[in-house]
This record gives sequence, structure tokens and C-alpha cells, in this order.
Amino acid sequence: MKTLLKDVIRLGLILTAFTVVACVGLAFVNQVTKPIIDGLDARRTEQSLKNLFAGAESFEMVPEFPAGAGAVKFASAYLVSKGGQSIGLAVKAAGPTYGGDTVLLVGVGSDAKVAGVIVLDNKDTPGLGANAKNPNYYVDKASKTTFPGQFRGKPLSDPFEAKKDVIAITASTITSRGIAVIVKQAGDAATAYLAAHGGKQ
Amino acid sequence: MKRYLKIFTAGLISDNPLLMLMIGLCSALAVTNNMANGIGMGLAMTFVLLCSEVIISMFRKLIPNSIRIPIFIIVIAAFTTIVDLSMKAWTPALSEAMGVFIPLIVVNCIIMGRVEAFSSKEGVFACVIDSIGMGLGYTWVLLGIAAIRELLGDGKILGFQIMPDSYQPILFFTLPPGGFLVFALFISMNIWLKKLIDNAGARAGKSGKEAVA
Repeated sequence: MKTLLKDVIRLGLILTAFTVVACVGLAFVNQVTKPIIDGLDARRTEQSLKNLFAGAESFEMVPEFPAGAGAVKFASAYLVSKGGQSIGLAVKAAGPTYGGDTVLLVGVGSDAKVAGVIVLDNKDTPGLGANAKNPNYYVDKASKTTFPGQFRGKPLSDPFEAKKDVIAITASTITSRGIAVIVKQAGDAATAYLAAHGGKQ
Repeated sequence: MKRYLKIFTAGLISDNPLLMLMIGLCSALAVTNNMANGIGMGLAMTFVLLCSEVIISMFRKLIPNSIRIPIFIIVIAAFTTIVDLSMKAWTPALSEAMGVFIPLIVVNCIIMGRVEAFSSKEGVFACVIDSIGMGLGYTWVLLGIAAIRELLGDGKILGFQIMPDSYQPILFFTLPPGGFLVFALFISMNIWLKKLIDNAGARAGKSGKEAVA
């Protein structure tokens, strides 16, 4: 009994020693890389927001945006303004598509229309569903409209149904339907937020 | 010296981790739909393998046998996280493309296997040689598979268009079944290569010269 206890303590201490050294090393690496990673993230978000809203000047994170109900979740939201006046809201939303969650940045103007959609992350089948993220895949070749590009200017009162008012990606109905649902829900939430907070601006 | 040369070359063909030992296959098949991912994954994997083998070989006399596996995992996980964070900071595009497969290096059987079978028994220098050999063996297979899959499935190499515009990409190759097919072809090619080398070695041995392999 006594030797067993001794063994447990000895092994525990050795394991602790290895873990502590590993943690100190990781803490050091994290200290070096964290500011760089955060900077990159912030720059990427800012760039995407500028692409969504032409002429946008400043972005302000909305502190208490609802997290979303059901399968679609909202990670964060940014109030976009130009010349001191709010021109819309961008919502970072994630929802299920074919190969896992797809993350979108959905811009909604104060006119209750979609200002634009950017696909930030998509893990669907390469060559099929992943075309949602491909800048050279056009659902309408004549006007060079990409799959997320077709949402630009679309009124949120539309039904947002793939193969009806949303042109689906060829052979990728699940992806198309999933993304349309995310856009719709994020758009509705953004409109509701803008309507509720519009008076303060 | 000859012993080290043998350890080094073992990883390339005759004991190739992917084609002969058949370990660490899942991530290898998943990331090889284009060459840039293959290069990134190969280098990341080689780095983690090298660091883990060296550290574990250095401390192999201090690691009690009964808790060696948790200690191996701590060491491997620490280096994997270092690679993951560095890639996120300095090569964000690559890190985005590799997605979940970098964190998954932790459970890659090649590293676990080499650490358990080799570096927990051998000296530091032998481990350096072994990990570089195994890492290169892993990387060349990834590059080979990725080159074929990207060329046939996408018409490109490293993102540059190679095939003429009229070429209709064979989507099959970028999808998992295509990965399995190309992988199987590589296995048979590797067996053929190994036989060639073994035969050459046997013949050289017969005529009294030194074995090449």
C-alpha cells in the first residue's frame, strides 16, 4: 500500500514537471504570436467590411447582439458608418451546410436590403459546394455574378429559397440552401436590430 | 556512419511511413488535393516529428515506462501547438487551407509510432536522422499524390494553370475516392522500387561489392 502511494506520487510529480515545462514554452510562443494573429484577424474583418459597404469609414462592434436561435448562430456584429451616420450592420453568422458549418459575413443596409455577402469559411466538397467561396465560379456567367454575389441588393422580404429566388450552385443544393438560410436569418436579425436601435443614431 | 545512412534511407522507401508502415494516412489523404497543402503539411509534420523525437530521446531515461504515453502526448501536443500558432501568425493563408489538420498532427500515428518505436530507445543523433528520413519520406509521398491529384482534378500545379483551357478537370481526383486511387498506385510503385533496390543490393553483394541500399 505504501509503495503504491509512493509510486503514484512519484509518477504524478514527473508528469506535472513535463506538463509545466510544456505550458511555459507554449505561454511564451503564445505571447509572441497572439498580437500578430489578432492584428491579422482585425485587418481581415476590416477589409471584408469595406468590401461589403462601399465608402464605409468606421466600424463599431455591437456589444449585445443576439446569439441567434436554432442552427444559425451569430458570432458578432458590426455597426458600419459613413460620415458619422450609420449605413448598415454586418453580421458574422455560422450555420450548417454540407460539410460542416459555413461562416458568412452578411451586410445589411438600413433599407432592409442585403448589402453583400462574403463567405469567410466553407468546408464543403471541393469543386462542388466549395464553389460558394470560389471568386471565379459564376451562377450567372453573363453578368459574372458569384454565388454569394447574387445576394447583393436583394430585399429581405424575399423568400430566400435555393432553386427558386436564389440560383443554386450546380449539384450543390444542400450548400446553396444552407447559405440562403444563413443569409436570411442574419439579415432578419440585423434588420430587427437596426429597427430597434435606429432612433438612437 | 553506414548505420545512420541506413536509418535515413529507411524512411524514404523501404520503411516509408505512408506506403510501407501505412500509418498516418487520414490526414495525408485529406490534405493532398493540392500541392501547396502537401508542402505545408509535410514541413509541419517533419518539424513536429524532429522536435518530439529529439526531446523524448534526450529525456528517455527520465521517463518512467508506465506513464510514457501521456508524456509523449504532452511533448507532441506542445510542438504541434507551436506550429499551429506560428502558421496562423506568419503564413495565415496556408494555415487557413490546412484547417483542422494541423492540430490533428497531435494524434498522427507516424509521430506516436516513431517516438514509441525509435526515439524512446535510441540516441539523439540517430533520432535526428530518423525523423528527417521519415519526414522526407512522408513529404515526398504527399507531394507526389498532390501533384497528380491537382493536375488531373484541377488542371493546375501549385495554383498555376498547366493543362490547356479546353481540359475538363476530372473532379474525381480532388474528391476522397480519387485520393484512395492515387494512393494505391503509389503503394504499388513503392513496392516495385523497393524490389529494384533489394535486387540491386543482392546482386552487388554477390559480386563482392558493397551493398548500395
